Amino acid sequence: MRIKVNSEIAGQVWKVTAAQGTSMDADEPIIILESMKMEIPIVAPKAGVLIELHVGEEDMVAEGQLIAIIESA
Amino acid sequence: MSWQDEIDEINKRRDLAKQQGGEAALAKHHEKGRLSIRERIEGLLDADSFDEVGQGAGVPEYDEAGQLTGFQPANFILGFGKLNARKVIVGGEDFTLKGGSPNPAGLRKSVYTEELALQYKVPLIRLHEGGGGSVGGTGQDKNRRPLGDPVFSASRFLPLAQTLGAVPVAAAALGPVAGLPAARLVASHFSVMTQNAAVLIAGPQVVKRALGHDLTKEQLGGPQVHLKSGAIDNLAETEQDALDQIARFLSYLPDNVWAFPPRQSTEDKVDRCDEDLATIVPRNRRQPFQMRTIIEKVVDREKDASSFFEMSRKFGPSLITGLARMDGHSVGVIGNDCMFYAGAMTASAAQKLRRFVDFCNSFHLPIVSFVDEPGFMIGPDSEMAGTIRHGTSAISAVLQSRVPWACVQVLKAFGVAAQAHFGPEAYILSWPSAASGALPVEGGVAVAFAREIAAAQDPAARQKELEDMLASSQSPFPRAEGLSVHDIIDPRETRPKLIAWLENAQAAYRTQPAQPYLTTMRP
Repeated sequence: MRIKVNSEIAGQVWKVTAAQGTSMDADEPIIILESMKMEIPIVAPKAGVLIELHVGEEDMVAEGQLIAIIESA
Repeated sequence: MSWQDEIDEINKRRDLAKQQGGEAALAKHHEKGRLSIRERIEGLLDADSFDEVGQGAGVPEYDEAGQLTGFQPANFILGFGKLNARKVIVGGEDFTLKGGSPNPAGLRKSVYTEELALQYKVPLIRLHEGGGGSVGGTGQDKNRRPLGDPVFSASRFLPLAQTLGAVPVAAAALGPVAGLPAARLVASHFSVMTQNAAVLIAGPQVVKRALGHDLTKEQLGGPQVHLKSGAIDNLAETEQDALDQIARFLSYLPDNVWAFPPRQSTEDKVDRCDEDLATIVPRNRRQPFQMRTIIEKVVDREKDASSFFEMSRKFGPSLITGLARMDGHSVGVIGNDCMFYAGAMTASAAQKLRRFVDFCNSFHLPIVSFVDEPGFMIGPDSEMAGTIRHGTSAISAVLQSRVPWACVQVLKAFGVAAQAHFGPEAYILSWPSAASGALPVEGGVAVAFAREIAAAQDPAARQKELEDMLASSQSPFPRAEGLSVHDIIDPRETRPKLIAWLENAQAAYRTQPAQPYLTTMRP
């Protein structure tokens, strides 16, 4: 099952913490957004493989924007 | 002379009423994975406790000899019942008859629901699935034009509004809910919708004709829309989950506004001090923490689960609102969630706060606020949303509050928005991580000392130096010295301290009889 991971907040990508193709645990951070001077992780909602990553470091992210797609078993 | 013929007639009509829309319509309804309204009521209430009102109401058909040949029951089921041994009124549309769009008897029963709740002063539960009125009317003679209601009749919307100030009202959307039923759904203190429910002012065909949008009813008014819009509070995985959430919501509340909330027995210890509370807030202020975990570690545990029942999580998510128990007493809980815009007050969060504070005041629930407030949300979107008006309105609601109020200042309390956490005569506990002021140093220093920083040899170093100096002035210790907080505490002591306060504050509050809550005009 493909799961879309959208950002629920606006901010700027501070760090990308997982590369495309990596196997991820549930709740493992994909990226860390800087928003309102805080570091907010955007995490994998379920365990799976990160098959698509749509943002890079320093990108601005809008509320609701697609961040990644996880292929979950 | 016996009345046996008439008694037989009564029983015949009762059987007809229970047939609802008929076998085929019920089977079709079940195929969609939905229960009938009678099954829902049975699933909600204590066994055999449903005491139906107006079972004989319906649309009869007679032959020329005056014999009953057919009977379409009212497509709204209504009655009293018991929920966890407490009296409630429950009602809901019968979707298997005309898709829940009211027939004449159904309409009379549905609008009588709130009248009954006001008369008997018991909690009201509505289980909605159905449409509003149809262009064809509610079944009048097609050869006559509708006369309308007489001018001296009271509006059916008046009792709908009055119930919110009188008894707890909980409602569920368990399928498509449109028009009047949708308005009734949101005229509640707590609303829940299932995954396959949709809440609509008007359905896809009407929208397409008027606006050209080609959308399904789920796209128009599914859970992904209305949990965020704030129209509906919570999502339910199944119909039974929706009914369970309603039962849980009501467990915290009194029967009406003229009574205080019931106390439940608890096995959780008053002096339980959770070790994790000492380390849960990171020293690095850029790093977030989970306010829900703090709340859950402080409030009562009930059978290995927290007593915290969150409401409206997706709407205004920078603010957490919910009900909980402390030493068995019901409390309203609010807290900032720094995972969303550092916990800043958005226009939605402000509306959520105002509604929640009014709700707690209506039902005499003391409020415990866990504070990590950076201020009103800033930026163009926030300005466009009218955050300042909604925020000021929320602050007014807080400062007009009459229930006992406690604040646990966990971390930030900045700006005007910080006021939204401190009700009148609040009991204030400060954690060592607390920081207060007009605004956070990171933003404030850059503005207030702009010239000095620009003139420095190393502007970045000077800014850091000023920030460090001012950060130390936001320390909680001077505030404790000045008694501007009741105490600065070890975070692990939060639960016993709050329970000790609650016992005193609640006893004082209850020296006056429970009365309805009346509010004034707000910004």
